[in-house]
Amino acid sequence: MKRRGLGRILATIMLVAAWLLLATAGVALAATPQDLATDISTEIASPYCPGVTLHDCPSAAATDLRARITAWAEDGWGRARIMAKLSSEFGPGIRAVPPPGGSGTLAWLLPAGAVIAGAVVVAVLVPRWVRKNHDQAPTGATDRPLSPDERRRVEGELDAFRGAVRGDQWSQ
Amino acid sequence: MRTASLAALGRPALLCALGFAVLALILFAMSALRRRVPAGRAGGRALGASAGFTVLAAASLLSALFAHDFSLAYVANYSSRSLAGPYTVSALWGGMEGSLLFWTVLLTVFATIAVYRHPNPDSPAVTWAGAVLAGIAIFFLLLLAFPADPFARLADVPTDGSGLNPLLQSPGMLIHPPLLYTGFVGFSIPFAFAMGALVSGRTETPWFTSTRRWTLFSWSALSIGIVLGGAWAYTELGWGGYWAWDPVENASFMPWLTATAYLHSVVIQEKRRMLRIWNVSLILATYALAVFGTFLTRSGILSSIHTFTEGSTGVWFLPFLAAMLLGGLAIIALRYDRLRSENRLDALVSRESAFLANNVLFVAAAFTVLWGTVYPIVAEVTTGVRLSVGPAFFNAVFVPLGLAILALTGIGPLVSWRRMSKGRLSRLVRPPVVAGIAVAAGLWLAGMRSAGVVIAFALCGFVAVAIAGEFIRGGRVYRASGDSWPAALAHTLMRNRRRYGGYVVHLGIVLIVIGFAGAAGKVERNAFLEPGSSMKVGAYTLTYEGREQSSTPEKQINDATVAVSRGGEPVGTLHPQSNFHFAQQQPQSEVAIRTTPVEDLYVVVTQFDPDGAAAIRAFVNPLTWWIWAGAVVMAAGMSVILSGGTPHGATAGATGRVREPVAAAG
Repeated sequence: MKRRGLGRILATIMLVAAWLLLATAGVALAATPQDLATDISTEIASPYCPGVTLHDCPSAAATDLRARITAWAEDGWGRARIMAKLSSEFGPGIRAVPPPGGSGTLAWLLPAGAVIAGAVVVAVLVPRWVRKNHDQAPTGATDRPLSPDERRRVEGELDAFRGAVRGDQWSQ
Repeated sequence: MRTASLAALGRPALLCALGFAVLALILFAMSALRRRVPAGRAGGRALGASAGFTVLAAASLLSALFAHDFSLAYVANYSSRSLAGPYTVSALWGGMEGSLLFWTVLLTVFATIAVYRHPNPDSPAVTWAGAVLAGIAIFFLLLLAFPADPFARLADVPTDGSGLNPLLQSPGMLIHPPLLYTGFVGFSIPFAFAMGALVSGRTETPWFTSTRRWTLFSWSALSIGIVLGGAWAYTELGWGGYWAWDPVENASFMPWLTATAYLHSVVIQEKRRMLRIWNVSLILATYALAVFGTFLTRSGILSSIHTFTEGSTGVWFLPFLAAMLLGGLAIIALRYDRLRSENRLDALVSRESAFLANNVLFVAAAFTVLWGTVYPIVAEVTTGVRLSVGPAFFNAVFVPLGLAILALTGIGPLVSWRRMSKGRLSRLVRPPVVAGIAVAAGLWLAGMRSAGVVIAFALCGFVAVAIAGEFIRGGRVYRASGDSWPAALAHTLMRNRRRYGGYVVHLGIVLIVIGFAGAAGKVERNAFLEPGSSMKVGAYTLTYEGREQSSTPEKQINDATVAVSRGGEPVGTLHPQSNFHFAQQQPQSEVAIRTTPVEDLYVVVTQFDPDGAAAIRAFVNPLTWWIWAGAVVMAAGMSVILSGGTPHGATAGATGRVREPVAAAG
């Protein structure tokens, strides 16, 4: 029993680890400077359109800022340097992704918490409910063979279904 | 003069609607508390009268819009003489006051139909449900009577209106908002009937059965509305995408997630009489999230391109939302003992467990989206820095959950109710698993190295084969009776529309996920082109040939001609535009898209130089076509489900008996 419990915990840890792996896999590596510029423009809020990332902002000023970021990327600037430059120019609020530490920790931890809580519910509580049900059920209640009366009822239901299949005229 | 008198009917009609809604609430409450059936019936008639007057108010506003009665502030703000006829209709929901009026029309009409068409309208549970619906109607009618009056008049009447936002002048906007509102408002019916059953103490009442069609109808409307919203964003906003995790998009997505969880878990209640508290909580959460979304769009608390003008209306939603949540939770707590499950899980490997896991994931996903949406407010309150949370965050936390839900979409149908032998499960699971592995291996060999994309496509293969297997197993029964395969499959679908229609919906989801996964291969290029010069995007070469200018009464049109070639072969010409709307003094890009099932070539002109040079953004969006195809398949599945009758399991639940077609069991 202990081994099964340990197995469930390990399975839960593996599921959460897979989730975290996939979460980080979402941040793709940019192939070209233009791709890097595009990636960055999806990770920062537009200073010119409220509530919209720079990538999605249609204003002319946003077009200019996207062009500046592309130029920096083409000059060999990395992601960190470009983000630092943007933060110094527009303030920390320009990041459209909560920072991984400090004030942003809670933003990342709570969804993970929800996933872990859900995984715990499924991995721990459900087997308990099943066990409880088995403890409460009369011995052999679910596995005993059908009585003649039950067998007759099952056969009757099956006959009715087969008849319905044969006589069905496309109506519900 | 005639049109002015029609507009003059609007406010008195609203006040009459409010009066009748109050009367309905009093009559329903009297009937429920004193067990007087005639009072309840009179309550139903009062609710119907309230609906009639609300429709009259909406008709008055619509007539004022068509008559260009600019003495009404709403008409002056959201329409103009040059606005095309169909968009004059969409102006009814294009502004905050009109949208609330439209919402209230749907609410009162739906409430009246739900109460009148209930098979047992005199039962206390229905009477209480009527009272809840009347209470909700009173709230919205109070909003319309005071802070959001659509019939407010201007002291100085302008000769023309400001016109409708050019972004809203799109065919999608004629359908998308009404469908979203239908979804949001429709959830008030199962919510009210759930509360009615609890308040009346009739917890055994199958409120979920009598409101099943409402729930499905609302969920279907919301689903299609969300997809149409994505299509509108894709074709109108010009950033090459269809979903930006914007707060208002999230506002429609959150109730969809909890409603989807509810649609699955309520089947367990029907068949096994389990999860009663959970289901009531889910429907409460769904309606609360729908109202929360309405609050978000009308309070100005979060920035979004979709929000209405900031005003005082949003503040009114907070006490309403609080009362609804606290009241709902209090009633659930009060009836806790009566709501406890009669049955328990028989086995770990069962459809109940799969549905439970699906519910946990859906609720975790809804929580994740809610948290990301409100996090900027939390951050501002706690740190003083106004942050925004964009797609990068949502994609990171939501995509893994979405993939897990997709996996369960394939596993659920393979598992029997109550219990299943491991041997049978492994036999059924084998073909879908092999298909999934084959897809993954094929993609890996083809050079795909993104783990997320490979997993998404593999799961799509897994789910598609699992669904196909279900149809084949069902079809074999009819094949044995002599049907051809197409007839057997059609017969299978139509005999148990709820179950197999659900599988068709799942198939639609698979196609949509294929479209989403394709976005990983998106390519974007920007260039400033002189006439005659070219740029490359993906395998395409775009040559900007020049600009043509023309004018209509509403706008100046700047039409770019872009010749498209691929591998040196011409494949067509695209005409993106950058226009200037006179009434709004606002530029607006019109996107040009070349669509194929393989990929979309998406071209937008962001600006023109006076000398005719153009700033061009071009995207290659792989597999986007499948999103729209998936939506069509989903809609077909929804139609099949909605055309069906009472579910088989609805009555079987009383004995814990499960009726499933023989085909499903063997």
